[in-house]
Amino acid sequence: MEQRVTNTFDNIRLELRRGCLVIAVLAQLRSEHYGYALRKALEDQALEIDENTLYPLLRRLEAQGLLVSEWREEEKRNKRFYRLSTAGEQVLPDLLEEWRQMNSALEGILGAAK
Amino acid sequence: MLTSQDDLLARYLHAVQFWLPKSQQRDIIAELAEDLHSQLAERPLTDDEFVALLKKRGSPMQVAAGYLPDQRLINPAMMPVYRLVLKITLLWVMLPLLVIVFAGPLLTSAHPGEVIVGFWAEAWRTVFTVVGIVTVVFALFDRYNVKIRGLEDWNPRKLPRVPTHSEIAARWNHLAGCIFGMIAAIFWVYFLWQRTAFSFPGGVRIILGPFWKFVYWPVLVITLTSASADLLAFLYPCWAQVRSRVRIALDACLLIIAAIVLRAGNWIEIDAPHLSPHDLAAVMTWVNLSIQISLVATALIACLDALIEVRRLLRPSGRPHTPIAGVSL
Repeated sequence: MEQRVTNTFDNIRLELRRGCLVIAVLAQLRSEHYGYALRKALEDQALEIDENTLYPLLRRLEAQGLLVSEWREEEKRNKRFYRLSTAGEQVLPDLLEEWRQMNSALEGILGAAK
Repeated sequence: MLTSQDDLLARYLHAVQFWLPKSQQRDIIAELAEDLHSQLAERPLTDDEFVALLKKRGSPMQVAAGYLPDQRLINPAMMPVYRLVLKITLLWVMLPLLVIVFAGPLLTSAHPGEVIVGFWAEAWRTVFTVVGIVTVVFALFDRYNVKIRGLEDWNPRKLPRVPTHSEIAARWNHLAGCIFGMIAAIFWVYFLWQRTAFSFPGGVRIILGPFWKFVYWPVLVITLTSASADLLAFLYPCWAQVRSRVRIALDACLLIIAAIVLRAGNWIEIDAPHLSPHDLAAVMTWVNLSIQISLVATALIACLDALIEVRRLLRPSGRPHTPIAGVSL
C-alpha cells in the first residue's frame, strides 16, 4: 500500500513537472546556454533537472522549432549552444500567461480550502 | 594510454550509442560526452566516484530510451474499441471452434483425450491468431491515422438508448437462447458431420437426400451466429437491438433455406429389407410428410420470430433502466 502511494505520488509529480520544466527551459534559454551550463543555471534557481530529462527535452523542443542550436568551441571543447528561436519567442509569453492563470486559479482554490 | 576513467567513459558512451537510432548517434553521444567532461572539469573524481556518477545517470539503455520518440502499438484513445473488437472477435471465433472442434468430435470420437488435446492446441493457436490480426489492424489504423467513422463524428442523438428494465430482465432469456443454440449446433455436428445415412438394428437404413450436405454448413452458421448474438445480448444488454437485427437477418436466411429444402423434396430414402414394398412406401410417405410439416413449421416459426423482433425494435417497452444509482432518467 505504502509503495503504491509512493508510485502514485511519483507519477503525478512527474506529470506536474513535465509542463513546468518546458516553461523553465524555454525561459532560461532567452539567453544562450550549453547543456551543462543550462542545468547549472536551473539548479541555481532551485530547479533540479537530471541530464536524462534535460537533453531529450532540448532535442524535442528543437525538433518542435522552439529552440535553435549550434556546435561551437569554447574552452577548447566543442559544446552545443541552445537559444530560443523566433517561434519560441512567440510561444513563451503565451505559455507564461497560461501558467500565471493556472497558478492564480490554484492559489484561489488552495486559499478557499483553508 | 587510456586512463581507467577514460576507458569507463568510452565503454559507457559506446553502450548508450548501441541503443540509439543511427542517424542521431553522433550528435547525442557528442553532447553526452561533453556534459560528462564538463562535470569532471568541475572537480576531479576518484574511479569509484566516477562509477557512482555513471550509475546515477542510469543504464545505457535507459539513457538512450529518453531520446527515442514515444512509440506505441495502439492509440490509447482506441483502446476501448480495440478491447471490444477483440472480445467480440474471440467470441465469434471460439464458439464455432468449441462446437466443431471440441463438442461435436468429443461425442463421436473413440479417443476423447486426443480431441481435448487437439482442441486445446487449436484454441491457443486461434486465440494467438485473432489477437495478432486484430492488434495488427489497430496498429495499422494508428500508423496511418485512420479515423473510425462514428468515433470522431458522433452524435448524442445516435447513442444507443438505455436498455429498458424488460430488456435487462430478458438477458437471461438470451443466455438460455445461447445455451440452446450451442446444444443444437453440437447435435447438428454430431448427427450430420459427413454422414449420408443412419443405420438401425435389423438392417434398417435411413439414407439422407443429397441436398443435406448443401444445407449442412448454412444451418450450422445460422445456429452459431444466433447463439453468438444471444451471448452478446446477454453480456451487453444495451445491444439487444443489435441482437434483434441479427435475428431478423437469420430468420430470413432460415426461411430461404426452408423454402429450398421444401422445393427439393425426396428428403430421405429408407432401406428396410424386412418390409414389403407397400409398407415401405407407406412409411416413406409418412416420414416425408413429417419432414414437410417440420419444414413448414420451421418457416412459420422463423416468420413469427422475425415479427416479434421487428416489434421489439419498433416499440421498446418499459421505462429505461437507471445505469447509475441516484440518477433519475
